[in-house]
Amino acid sequence: MLKTFPPSAEIEELTTGPPTVNSFPSNYSILLAGPPGVGKLEYFLELVKQGLEQGKRIVFVTLDLHPAEVRERAKANGLDLADYEGRTFLFVDCYSAMSNDRLEHDPRKRMYQVSSFSNLEGIGMAMTKASNDLKTPVMIFFYTVSTLFLHNTPQAIAKFIQIVTSRVKTTLGFIAYAVHEGVHDQMTMNLLRSLVDGVIEARFKEDLAREIRIHHMRGLRPSTAWGTIGQRIQMTATRATGSAISRGNGP
Amino acid sequence: MSTVTSVEEASRERAMTGIQLLDERLGGGFQRNSTLLLFSEIPAEKRIFAEHFVMAGIKNGETCLYVDFFRAPQLARREFTKFGSYPEDRLVIVDATSSQLLLPTSEKYAIGDVGNLDEIFDVVSEAIRDAKPQRVVIDSLEFLADRFPTERVLDFWRKLTAEAREVGSTLCFLFINWTYSSAGIERMRDLTDYVVEFQSTISGGVVRSMMQVEELREGGMKTNWVPYTFRDIVGVTVYFPRVLVTGPFNAGKSTVVKNLCSTSVSIDRMGTTVAFDYGNVNTMGLEADVFGTPGQERFEFIFKIFAREVNGILLVVDATRPEDFERARKMLELVGPGLPFVIVANKSDLPDALPPQRIKEIIGLGEDVHIVAAVATRGIGLREAFKDLAQQIIGVK
Repeated sequence: MLKTFPPSAEIEELTTGPPTVNSFPSNYSILLAGPPGVGKLEYFLELVKQGLEQGKRIVFVTLDLHPAEVRERAKANGLDLADYEGRTFLFVDCYSAMSNDRLEHDPRKRMYQVSSFSNLEGIGMAMTKASNDLKTPVMIFFYTVSTLFLHNTPQAIAKFIQIVTSRVKTTLGFIAYAVHEGVHDQMTMNLLRSLVDGVIEARFKEDLAREIRIHHMRGLRPSTAWGTIGQRIQMTATRATGSAISRGNGP
Repeated sequence: MSTVTSVEEASRERAMTGIQLLDERLGGGFQRNSTLLLFSEIPAEKRIFAEHFVMAGIKNGETCLYVDFFRAPQLARREFTKFGSYPEDRLVIVDATSSQLLLPTSEKYAIGDVGNLDEIFDVVSEAIRDAKPQRVVIDSLEFLADRFPTERVLDFWRKLTAEAREVGSTLCFLFINWTYSSAGIERMRDLTDYVVEFQSTISGGVVRSMMQVEELREGGMKTNWVPYTFRDIVGVTVYFPRVLVTGPFNAGKSTVVKNLCSTSVSIDRMGTTVAFDYGNVNTMGLEADVFGTPGQERFEFIFKIFAREVNGILLVVDATRPEDFERARKMLELVGPGLPFVIVANKSDLPDALPPQRIKEIIGLGEDVHIVAAVATRGIGLREAFKDLAQQIIGVK
């Protein structure tokens, strides 16, 4: 049984800056797409920071970076994960087992480890267990889907994402996947986009300034104007759910 | 005839799973020299079963071969210690992971290029011929299914089955289906002797695992969905999260819970249960959480809370009080139809106790119902009733 969305009043109206942690309904899935280096991790860590400060429980699935690197990057962004890890924050670490000698064995840092990127089943189970360990609902951040493509066929990944997303939406809470743009073909990107409720895009402008926007969010009518990453800029969104859609000031 | 002895005798022709209830259902275990498919459609705890199966062999003095595409062997060997210590040389690993990580291997058998199916076959079959393992596990087939054409994967399967037959191994493939159509799955089933299917569901924040064993030969057995869990050292354990003990007022439900379970607690007032009894029973390779309901009608609201997600019911009746049997039948209906149950004819040592056959007739639940004469205060008949219930829950079709 699908849990109901929170009342739309709980979803924050976007008036300034990129979407915040409160811009997303629970039981929802998002894809964050952008070229390498555009600030996807930075943006995820900002959402993690906001979420943790508001008392949300967060699972961070890392495939591209060692958890220690994620902790450092978070710290640089003003978030000390040590304050939360094991209590309201958990890593699902798919990275360090692949780099073997750097396996973490600190019993104080509860962590779910997956031994291989090709072990999609293991990743799925670890995400479920970590979420239940923290107590659902949780917000899951998956960084990144692209790494899966180095080790699995698009077909297997598509089914994996479909199953994980449906499990997240029915029982676990919210999930955001990051994907590197420009390394997958258009069909793969379209496939990934079709598997989630909403897409957020990030891009470089010609002067290498970085921009982010909501492309679409199912059931909502956010503004799709580009805003700058790292700066508080004007970005508007009008809420509209279900029958209320006609009320919105959409395009 | 003791079942334990028959299991021991069977272990020569049968590969015990080490899960007693399952082994009994399988006539001592899986047929040796057979092929098993450990299968699930969505992520589930299959590997733990495969590992348990390997360790059951090793604990039985067998040699086992584990082909691991997902874990470096150091990690795999360390993870196997969750079943307790074991003679390391009994576990032969084919290391199909180190080369993926560009790491050196310390294993005798290692695959240098996992993109080469011929090499994979050569290394695994060499290991099978040398080590002559009684059990072989391939973890996992989806690794191959995702990398090679279906025909080649099925051909690999056939050739490996022939190699395993040659030395008398039971061969076991793990497989989660990411890529095959249902026709592809059917073709795999055609090459298999047993399918163990796995499910995992989330309920109340707890991940529940279930498996179903099916023997594919004509007239083969098939169990119901069997809930299981993992316990350190012991390994995979059949686990019923909710067995209900119910029955009319003063039938002796609390005593049944207390004397069946190794640990128990009762919430009562002056000897009458007002909330519920709870106990944990761990016996015969089987664990269950047992909940006893109050018998009085005014507590039926609690009854309804406990009646959800019930695995099975022990229906306790006072064998000297046929006037309460109607109420017993009603209580059974309250929990919901179709659930496995056993009638515990309590107080059967009293002079005016009715014999089980007579109780069966009066209670009117059909001739097929299982009934066990019991004396709860002395623990008589309780384990028999519980085991009977467990067998019904596991079931064979």
